[in-house]
Amino acid sequence: MNENLFASFAAPSMMGLPIVVLIVMFPSILFPTPSRLINNRLISIQQWLIQLTSKQLLAIHNQKGRTWALMLMSLILFIGSTNLLGLLPHSFTPTTQLSMNLGMAIPLWAGTVITGFRYKTKASLAHFLPQGTPLPLIPMLVVIETISLFIQPMALAVRLTANITAGHLLIHLIGGATLALINISATTAFITFIILILLTILEFAVALIQAYVFTLLVSLYLHDNT
Amino acid sequence: MLQNLVKSVWVPMKPYYTQAYQEIWLGMGLMSLIVYKIRSADKRSKALKGKIFASSKGGGQKTPSYFLRTRCPMA
Repeated sequence: MNENLFASFAAPSMMGLPIVVLIVMFPSILFPTPSRLINNRLISIQQWLIQLTSKQLLAIHNQKGRTWALMLMSLILFIGSTNLLGLLPHSFTPTTQLSMNLGMAIPLWAGTVITGFRYKTKASLAHFLPQGTPLPLIPMLVVIETISLFIQPMALAVRLTANITAGHLLIHLIGGATLALINISATTAFITFIILILLTILEFAVALIQAYVFTLLVSLYLHDNT
Repeated sequence: MLQNLVKSVWVPMKPYYTQAYQEIWLGMGLMSLIVYKIRSADKRSKALKGKIFASSKGGGQKTPSYFLRTRCPMA
């Protein structure tokens, strides 16, 4: 039972070769490149969604922050599509791997911090001490603010990993429970099946929300530093 | 194929890779440094465990000193 529960999170391989790279690159082929001024319905819907999201995300940014528009939109599309594809049965979700999420969070967070120190050094250093702090509390607050700064990439990565992993585990468990209850009590199995359906709908929402939260937080860190 | 790759990827993305994402490249360097440190520490601890296990199987041999264990993993 223990081995089966976490078997779906193991990195997949085919004939001894790891195929994680192929799985990570797969969502990009689901977003066709617009090649005409007026495109077909699918590409038009895609463009409309991207425009809607980018307007919402980039409204708070200045000119410097808007140079990250492509990065932020790619991030939300990648995480959203990867999470949604992971809800297909027997599929592997790269965003359940902490290594993958740290690989996204650390460079982006470090990029925002380095941008802040490069272009607005005084303002970036001033973030380590909130305004109006009493004099005796200054050393402690500087330490606390430094810790909270370095926790940011860890929190970004762990939040995404934990949410997606927990959802998949719950689906696995409740699906197993439904199957086990079919022979014991059909009514209980039916109720469990309804719970499974509701949970799957929730997981669809969580997949999109987590992508938005990750991107929004990176956008906010960038806003603080530009 | 390389020419096609340059025309379709490098040419449109050049201002991003060379100017907009400079800080992100630094962040990727920091991340690769962290990965390297973690991997080398893991290798060192596995080598040390193997050495301690081998020495305990041999019997009667002293455990390597703290200095040897932390500074000379291959000693």
